[in-house]
Amino acid sequence: MKPSSESAPSSTECHARGQSGRRDFLRWTGTAVAGLSVSCDSRMRKAMLGPIGDAIDAVKLEPFASPAGKEIDLLSHAISRLTWGVTPGLYGYWRQQATSIEAAAEKFIAASVAVRDPKGLAEVARKQASRQEAIQEAVGELYDFNPRQLNFELTQAALVRAVHSPNQLYERMVAFWSDHFNIDSSKADCRWLKPYDDREVIRPHALGKFSDLLRASALSPAMLFYLDGRQNKRRKPEDKPNENYARELLELHTLGVHGGYTQQDVMEAARCLTGWTVKGKDNKLFSMGPKGLAGIGSVVFIKYNHDDGAKTVLGKTIAAGGGPKDLDALLEIVTQHPSTAQFIATKLCRHFIADEPPAAAIATTAAAFTKSSGDIPETLRALFATESFRTARGTKFKRPFHYLVSLYRALGVPTDGGMEIQRALRRMGHMPFDYPTPEGYADVGEDWMSTLLARWDFALRLGRGETTPATWKQDQFLTAAGNTTGMLQHLLGRKPTTDELTALQATPEADQLALALSLPGFQLY
Amino acid sequence: MAQTPTLLIEAEGKPSQVLVSVYLRGGADGLHLVPPVGDDDYHKLRPTLAMKEKDTLPLEGVFRLHNNLAPLHPFFEQKQLAIIHQAGTPENSRSHFEAEDYLHFGGASGGGWLGKFLHLTKQSNAGPLTAVSISEHISDSLHGTAAVAMRSLTEFALPKQTEVFQQQLGKLYQLTGGKLGQAGSETLAAVQRIQGLSVALQDEEARRKGQPKQARDEFVDGLGLIARLIQANLGLRAATIDLGGWDSHFGAAVLLNSLMPRLAKGLADFATALGKDFPRVTIVVMTEFGRRVGENASLGTDHGRGGVHWVMGGSVPGGKVFADWKGLGGSILEYPGDVPVVHDYRGTLGAVCRHLEPAVDLGKLFPSYEGGVLPIYA
Repeated sequence: MKPSSESAPSSTECHARGQSGRRDFLRWTGTAVAGLSVSCDSRMRKAMLGPIGDAIDAVKLEPFASPAGKEIDLLSHAISRLTWGVTPGLYGYWRQQATSIEAAAEKFIAASVAVRDPKGLAEVARKQASRQEAIQEAVGELYDFNPRQLNFELTQAALVRAVHSPNQLYERMVAFWSDHFNIDSSKADCRWLKPYDDREVIRPHALGKFSDLLRASALSPAMLFYLDGRQNKRRKPEDKPNENYARELLELHTLGVHGGYTQQDVMEAARCLTGWTVKGKDNKLFSMGPKGLAGIGSVVFIKYNHDDGAKTVLGKTIAAGGGPKDLDALLEIVTQHPSTAQFIATKLCRHFIADEPPAAAIATTAAAFTKSSGDIPETLRALFATESFRTARGTKFKRPFHYLVSLYRALGVPTDGGMEIQRALRRMGHMPFDYPTPEGYADVGEDWMSTLLARWDFALRLGRGETTPATWKQDQFLTAAGNTTGMLQHLLGRKPTTDELTALQATPEADQLALALSLPGFQLY
Repeated sequence: MAQTPTLLIEAEGKPSQVLVSVYLRGGADGLHLVPPVGDDDYHKLRPTLAMKEKDTLPLEGVFRLHNNLAPLHPFFEQKQLAIIHQAGTPENSRSHFEAEDYLHFGGASGGGWLGKFLHLTKQSNAGPLTAVSISEHISDSLHGTAAVAMRSLTEFALPKQTEVFQQQLGKLYQLTGGKLGQAGSETLAAVQRIQGLSVALQDEEARRKGQPKQARDEFVDGLGLIARLIQANLGLRAATIDLGGWDSHFGAAVLLNSLMPRLAKGLADFATALGKDFPRVTIVVMTEFGRRVGENASLGTDHGRGGVHWVMGGSVPGGKVFADWKGLGGSILEYPGDVPVVHDYRGTLGAVCRHLEPAVDLGKLFPSYEGGVLPIYA
């Protein structure tokens, strides 16, 4: 029997699927709870709580305060928009940092945006995914593993980090860029190379400079496979370059489809990128490189595959003879084009403000992008300061990944990102790294509203204790939340309406938590 | 950027087209299922296994249908079944796993072919149950879309005793109004429809339990479940089901004689169960490869290349065998003695997908495929 993509691969299957089997011992073990949920002493807990994050100690939840306003207050709003959802105690912690709610919100936003230490972030992320050993391997070593295992681990890591990371805005931006620079990990060698892309392309730059992120993505071995850049060459004048990556670079990664480029620009951009390739499993297109599997996954520039003539892209000339430097010249032109600032700002505003983002907020955000030369935290700082951001409260519909992660976070349920949650994501069509076409998952709520049934089903089974680890006790959570009203305040970011409260009380006790998690208000953020 | 609102549950009378993919895992022997009885080389190369005319039913040209597939013969005669011979993938490793991957993913492309078809035609999340695999696991071919794996309907409905929960939730979604409120109300209506269906199926299940074990068949029952889901108008657009065990290296006749009746009965019962809904259902039956032409010393056949694929449905213009038959001479066969692949499966699927959704971009569905579509609907 062949394993499904959902099942954890076993060693025999690794072997049967033609993989080296050298790493057979590194099998998925099915451990129920990740190491990060271990209880830690209060000093460590406090350190992890501040400045922007939290640690989930599922074993002993302490009583926590929840927002009590009739409407969602600014702090509660900021927390729900800049993180993957509130956790027990997160609101209370930040509420205490200033006398007014508004000032507390400002402090929270400032602290969230200030996180920009790539090495530190990488280290935290690595520790969080310490059980996912295969995806931490060097690029060539990744090929030793069963791709199903890599994909399983990568998804696991994404979930564990989203639920447990103290660097929440960072994790949100990692997901944002993973959509923006979408790679379907089921295509060709992306099956082995997407973990490398996640670790070495998206994560180091998710809160850095857009230009650095774009360059890393252009030279990502997985991206060279996904959009066929590796096949892009021109040895003879009659050779036609492969335009796939160049087109998506302009259409999806930088200027946007109406950004003012022409077919001629796509062809010229493709010429700039000829010669860049990656050694894959098939060992094709690599006759010059080392034989066999040596150097697999490495990106190289093959001079004689490069079209070294002069090019004109978006009205700017790139002189002949640039060789590998053509790539940098091209990326500089597209990054600095005003349409790029506009396009990135629009997507960020859609993500953080509203499905139909207001023009004023886009303009402010685009201006900050331009002024800071594409500095991502600076751009976000400007976005979060707009009036539109501050007033659009509780209006975005959570996508399935967001819903599930926010649910685990809200209840303080630890997760190892394993089968249960991955199956739910698959059912709702929102597995990370699994979207087939380059535009990435839709970021408007309406596209996801058919997933309500799966959410209610998940909430009911969780509420009935079928999916939670034994270390998590529902009654302890309810006690810590205070009472029914307190729980609803925590989940909704505001006082419940009379209708909500009445409905909850009319529901059998066993399904009250599930009802709370199924409310329209908990689908929104 | 919001798209036009999609109705979560289809209105009665405006039901959608459904694509059902049946995968014969293991490499089904096309030369045994649809034998070229009129070909002399066939009898020479398969002295024991070759089918005699009296054990077969007429199709077209040299081809006949194995008697054990007789329930499918009326569909061929009524022009609702097209048979594609010399069918397969360009993947020539003759490895089950490599060939199966190629079959499901449509070549070196992201997403499974069926998932991507739904995705490209904006049907991915058309309703609470857009795509289903009758299995423990979602088929690789559905990669790229929302999908549910189930063995029985009870796995899909909400847990038992949630009437009050549903009632209260219904009130709150109604109060919410807007698109979210509408989505909630429609979803609850779907849940009730599924529950009604589920009760009926449980009755059937109970009846079946009274029958001897041999009388029950997971494949036949699975197709029956798909028929129920289609008739319930839940928004189902695609379903997959597997029938495994075709790897006939050894004692091929015995092995295939037990599988063929299941395949034929399953499909014929499925069509009967669908009744007036049969015209909106298209079934594609595929396998990862065919078998070696020459039989081996253990009365079986080894992994080969070209096999047989099928397209069946109430509005499929069938009654044809697609083949470019030049016999089984040594110069025709692909080393080491296999039927060459003439009909790339993507040409078949391309024809079906384009017929169902004329706007589908086949270049995106099968990016590495440059051949044309099979003229099934021509």
